[in-house]
Amino acid sequence: MAPTGPRAASGSTRPATRASRGGISKRRVAGKTDRDGDVSMDAPAGSGLNGGVAAGRGGTRGGRGARDSRGSTRAGSRITQNVKNYIGSRGSVATNKTHFNKVTLKVHGFRESKAALNDDGGRRSLIDFLERKASKDKKVTISKSVMDNEFFWISVNKDDVPDLLRLSGYSYAGAPITVTETTEKMPDASSTTLELKAKLTEVLARRYNPEQRLLDLSALGTDETLRSMDVFSQGSRAEKAFRALLRIATDQYTKTEEKNQAFEAVSIARNEIDDVGQVFQLAIDLPRLKRLDLSGNNLETLSKMSKWRHRFKNLEELHLIGNPVAAQSDLVAEMLKWFPTLQNLNGQQVRTRQEVAEYQKAHQPTPIPSLPSNLRDGENGVAPAFLQAFFPLYDTDRERLISEFYDDDSWFSLSVMLGSGRALPWKSYMKFSRNVHKTGSRSADTQQRLFTGGSLIADLWKALPPTRHPGMDQSHQWLVDCHTFPHLADPTGQGFSVGLIIVVQGQFEEADLSQNLFGTRTFSRTFILGPSKPNNPPPQHPYRVISDELTLHKWTPSPTQTPVPSTVTAPQQPAAPITIHVAAPEIIPTQPVQPAEPNDTLKAQLIQAISQATGMTAEYSELCLRGPANWNYELALQSFEQQKANLPPSAFLATA
Amino acid sequence: MAILSRERAVTASAEACEKFVETYYQAINSNKPVASYYVTDNTTYTNAGHPPADICINGQAGLTPKQWDDLLETQRKIPSASNTNPRYHPVRYEVESYDMHVINPDYRFAAPPALLVPDTSKPDLGAGIRLMMMLTVSGTVYFTSDRDGLKQHFNDVFILVPNWDVLAKHGSRAARKLLIASHSYRAF
Repeated sequence: MAPTGPRAASGSTRPATRASRGGISKRRVAGKTDRDGDVSMDAPAGSGLNGGVAAGRGGTRGGRGARDSRGSTRAGSRITQNVKNYIGSRGSVATNKTHFNKVTLKVHGFRESKAALNDDGGRRSLIDFLERKASKDKKVTISKSVMDNEFFWISVNKDDVPDLLRLSGYSYAGAPITVTETTEKMPDASSTTLELKAKLTEVLARRYNPEQRLLDLSALGTDETLRSMDVFSQGSRAEKAFRALLRIATDQYTKTEEKNQAFEAVSIARNEIDDVGQVFQLAIDLPRLKRLDLSGNNLETLSKMSKWRHRFKNLEELHLIGNPVAAQSDLVAEMLKWFPTLQNLNGQQVRTRQEVAEYQKAHQPTPIPSLPSNLRDGENGVAPAFLQAFFPLYDTDRERLISEFYDDDSWFSLSVMLGSGRALPWKSYMKFSRNVHKTGSRSADTQQRLFTGGSLIADLWKALPPTRHPGMDQSHQWLVDCHTFPHLADPTGQGFSVGLIIVVQGQFEEADLSQNLFGTRTFSRTFILGPSKPNNPPPQHPYRVISDELTLHKWTPSPTQTPVPSTVTAPQQPAAPITIHVAAPEIIPTQPVQPAEPNDTLKAQLIQAISQATGMTAEYSELCLRGPANWNYELALQSFEQQKANLPPSAFLATA
Repeated sequence: MAILSRERAVTASAEACEKFVETYYQAINSNKPVASYYVTDNTTYTNAGHPPADICINGQAGLTPKQWDDLLETQRKIPSASNTNPRYHPVRYEVESYDMHVINPDYRFAAPPALLVPDTSKPDLGAGIRLMMMLTVSGTVYFTSDRDGLKQHFNDVFILVPNWDVLAKHGSRAARKLLIASHSYRAF
């Protein structure tokens, strides 16, 4: 047992719920800061502080017993709490956001109470006391609190203020307290917390390798900074500090995807881990980890790893050398079972990438196979002729497109699926998006965002960003399904006529000129074509667009893997010959659509090429390539030309 | 015959499609067959000489509604399981967007006389019902329980026509009011 301070003996006064064993059980974030915001840095007696791994070993061995020791757990949890407190306060206290409905009160006098000797400075019991006593007619809750040397600052609902002010003069654990309203701003979380976080952040920064996307948390017991903080000298405390480190590292990323990309590999080698339960949090915070180094620990049997069974579903590489369990004969077979994507165990290939792919394929549903475009547009090849005329005109002369194919009864609407994750903003489309799933069928938007008649549609199209669709001859860029169907109203008002439905999937490049952004969008567009009206307006073609619906999808790499049949590229005898203006495109991107982000080698080459062409440093060249340019050499150069004047001298390589 | 106002047609189509989207994808996600949603099995339509619904799934055309149900079942199947003892994994279609247009505001094929305004002095019972619509639905298909696992985008386009059997009767509010005359599906 290693009491860490004078208050260890009073551990028994803590609520029973907090007396649970160490490990990963969730703790109520009760004491956000301790009495003076201080982290106990005094070394527990008997834990080996004096030497690296050996010290760690002593610590962990003793750790099992020590985990039950309230003293040490408390010290550790304080670290976690301080960190949590800091993190929790970022969005609220620290930003000084004004909450109109909240009032800040100061409680004074509690320092003299007996409860002030509690582990958390009496904070939890003071909150309980205040809430209990104030909740007379209605339940009063304290939403936020900060304890400093003199005052206990609380934030409560405006309506609850009288109930709390009433408590002035009440006796709390033997001491009278006063409650006053204040307009002062609540103090930030204690400076110690910030200091602690800064130290841990520094440790993390030192141990992160961005090239390998590796977070190296190996041999934490020998880390000078951590040793000076005395957080890894003892098992249970180490567990908590480990969690705090992970938390700080992963909390920088609000998007799971970015987090998983940033941390592909973690090393927790040489940390005297004898059960993965001690570092279980890793499976929670980084479940998509690809490479994990556990070597040089004390894992004796598979059962000591079983908590991670069925975790890390993307794990490709695992190192266990230096653990007793590594000698176990069935290790490979078991690990293959536990981690279905594992390819490399202890530096040996245990499965090929192809085997992993096959395994995955065999264990999950198989998407319906995709066939090439399916054109059933009757004999006369209307669909290819229409599409070949449509998209070039949409890119270059939308007004003319309207006059050729649309009439007063044509309908157009577009709908947007959010969450693209690509660089292009949705702003230009959002206010026109008729996504009934979002707006609801009875919304006014459902009426207003439906554009009827050529002139309204033309006005809308003027407001939409310029686009550039790939040529229909690039058949791998397109998927077109179409067929004729009966029972459209005949324009003469007599009987039925035959219609043609054309569904197109593809991508187009877009230029948002207002913000100077370029990018690619994935879209579907559905047309209903029907016979032209006899005389109004004079028909340019025997058919017209009855309905045109554009859906903008979340960006997906490429809609097709298979080429479309040549009927799209070589229409035989279009029903009506269409002459297309060969007008110069309004927007500049000339590169073909880039289907996906290139691999690292290609990226490096692109960076080098841009650097040579512009004289910029590799860093700035990469900046140009990222973002809207999306690794498109031409677009990156354009972006450079536009931004050239604004670049700092440091962006350029020193001329030799 | 009074021409149906645009407003009324828009509202009627939006409400009908909202209901359709809700029930159709709910059926698919709970592994129920959807063959009965198509005109193919509707005797009112087939007796009047309507061709079977045109179903084109990922470029495969000429499918029957039953074959579409089978494709969905095959898609759910876990390949490693034996054929005698098949195992399935739920495949979830999550709709994120849909939009519809009325492409024929006075659809009369196989319509019962009562809905065809026999008498101009009476209100037009069929207005807002005799609609032929084009509906596009898109979203994500999830093939595993893990949202980051295998998934695709899907884009469904339907041509919908009135289900006269239901509409001619009164008080059949809950029943299916639309039938699918054409269905083009693409997942990518």
